[in-house]
Amino acid sequence: MALRLEQVSIRLGDWSLIQPLSLTVAPGETVTLMGGSGSGKSTLLSFIAGDLDPLFTAAGGVSLDGAALGGLPPEARHIGRLFQDDLLFPHLTVAENLLFGMPRGARAERLAKVDAALAEAELPGFGDRPPHTLSGGQRARVALMRALVAEPRAMLLDEPFNKLDAELRQAMRRFVFEHIAARRIPCLMVTHDDADVPPGGRVLRLKDGKVAHA
Amino acid sequence: MTRLGAAPLLLFWALPLLAGLAMLLPAAGDSEAWRMALAHPQLWPALALSLGTGAISTLLALALTLTLLAGLYRSRLWYSLQSLAAAGLAIPHLAFAIGFGFLVMPSGLLARLVIGGEAPPQWVTVQDPWGLTLSLALALKELPFLLTAGLGILSRGDAALRLRQACRAAASLGHSPGSAFLRVVLPPLLKDLRWPLVIVFVYGATVVDMALVLGPTQPPTLAVVIWHALNDVDTAMNGMGLAMVLLLTAALALLLGGVALVLRQAHGPLHRLLTVGPSSLRAPRGLAALVGAFALAILVLAMVVLVILSLAPRWPYPALLPPAADGAAWMKVTAAPLWLSLTLSLAAAITAVMLAMMWFETQAPSRDRWVIGLALVALALPQMASAGGQYRLFLPLGLTGTLAGLFLAHLTPVAAYVLIVLAGPWRSFDGRYVAAGRALSASRMRALLAVKLPLLKAPLLTAAAIGFAVSIAQYVPAQLIAAGRFSTLPMEAVTLAAGGNRALTAAFALALAAPPLIAFLAAALLGRPRWR
Repeated sequence: MALRLEQVSIRLGDWSLIQPLSLTVAPGETVTLMGGSGSGKSTLLSFIAGDLDPLFTAAGGVSLDGAALGGLPPEARHIGRLFQDDLLFPHLTVAENLLFGMPRGARAERLAKVDAALAEAELPGFGDRPPHTLSGGQRARVALMRALVAEPRAMLLDEPFNKLDAELRQAMRRFVFEHIAARRIPCLMVTHDDADVPPGGRVLRLKDGKVAHA
Repeated sequence: MTRLGAAPLLLFWALPLLAGLAMLLPAAGDSEAWRMALAHPQLWPALALSLGTGAISTLLALALTLTLLAGLYRSRLWYSLQSLAAAGLAIPHLAFAIGFGFLVMPSGLLARLVIGGEAPPQWVTVQDPWGLTLSLALALKELPFLLTAGLGILSRGDAALRLRQACRAAASLGHSPGSAFLRVVLPPLLKDLRWPLVIVFVYGATVVDMALVLGPTQPPTLAVVIWHALNDVDTAMNGMGLAMVLLLTAALALLLGGVALVLRQAHGPLHRLLTVGPSSLRAPRGLAALVGAFALAILVLAMVVLVILSLAPRWPYPALLPPAADGAAWMKVTAAPLWLSLTLSLAAAITAVMLAMMWFETQAPSRDRWVIGLALVALALPQMASAGGQYRLFLPLGLTGTLAGLFLAHLTPVAAYVLIVLAGPWRSFDGRYVAAGRALSASRMRALLAVKLPLLKAPLLTAAAIGFAVSIAQYVPAQLIAAGRFSTLPMEAVTLAAGGNRALTAAFALALAAPPLIAFLAAALLGRPRWR
């Protein structure tokens, strides 16, 4: 179950944001794409997720486990995303947030999955809490679990540790990469912080729309 | 998809509005109409009265607004301004005018409270020949509108935060709070208030329903002269009315253009005032508290008078309370106009919100300036122009005197307000919530229904309540397009106010005031977030 980009390029009018880029992310692997702000790295993630702003024009193909994703709406791609902010839906409880993307099934089974996810996040009993009553680190863990219980076939991380406190950041990195690795899904992360790169992970650097392998 | 999303708004709102305005062009070329208009003996004094009431009410409302904002900026009472503004905004102009009239007339509650004596005082208030009562009522009624606009600029968003920080910086440079407000807050505030001020001025100079109740009669304001001409059975008189509408509109544009020109010239000298250095000018705390209390008292008393009168067919002077209560007037209120007004306004408000939502969801933000610009035009033009044109448009289409025509005529101002109110919250919504929802396998529709709409619940309900309040208060388009076949609450209230039945007039004024209040309360209640 690999995530493949083939000759992906993105333009904004006359401006070439991403020059043709090909990349394969293996199951369980996390590839890090580094670049400054405005380098188009978040735009690339939006393109992969199928959520590109219509202002941009993109070319090239994305496939997951050999199946092309081009033209599919975001919800049909089964690609999980984490953003800089946790983006827990503020009008839903923690449990409701977890249930939001979980595949349909027997209610008891789904609730059991919520409990299991909360236990994994070291937040047992937090299901009925409104998101704003949780600390930043707790919310970040719920956001990851919310993405994972939706059973994604790949993950996209958009500077997910950027807004966390320095002491939380290291613990959160370990938490995220362990869980993604355990699910054997490919993961593409964009960041500008070298410390975010998981140990032994592959790093690509984006500069002026071109990628330099490092 | 994108084209289709824009179609309903363009078809049901923009097209009737623009086509109606286009219908004014033939009227502009009707030389007989112009001859009649210019020969009208009341034209020039009536025009002077219209411009005067518009200008005086606008300047007074602005002075009161600035006193309140300057006096209470960054004070503990700041947030109570929000309640004052909201309460005042909810009362329809016509209902307030009727209550205000009953309050200040010689035998009104005010005279009973402050003068007393055996007989009512000999003062001239309601329908005074100079239009002062009308101007005062307009100023007090527009105060909540300008306050809301000012509070929006000074209380919310990044700009408000930057202004507060700028005030702190000014304080560290030796400016007193009053000096900081004058030099740091006032310039951007006035700049942002310019469109609300234009709307207030045009409204005051062209208002019909309030002028019929409180305004002078010999001569009346030009708006009233026009109104009688537009409602005349003689089509030549209708043509003259439209010519006068164009004349009044041109006079307003000329005056506003002149003011803009003068202000541009005065810009340099005014700006030098900003840099003369720190002063120890004090914020007008006491004055602001006084103005706030006064405005609130008038708003409340105007409504109290209506309640008393609606229950008392007989109220001899100088008793503070009538001898006996009687619900007879209220029995007559639950008639056809009430139900028509309620259903029409509910339909217009819901439709306007749906049309606006479809527009915002399917159109690029860069296109908003067209519809927002059109909405501002709709609100800044005299209503007799847009509604008068629409009458000319609907007549050959067979829409006058029909519910469909009445609905479209109400939708015109309602959708304009809803678009303006919803644009901010909708466009500043953090789209990543929707992206997060869709990454969790939610379809476009589900992300909209389960994520975006619940998070925008409060502004959506507020917009609907505003639309409802705007709709139920419509007098000019209702009277013109109904063509005598239907009667709505404001039409009924204006007719009653001209007659002698005070109890019934008061009851209808309250029937007009209560539904918007209920709508705003319901919106506030239902719009509360799930958690605090």
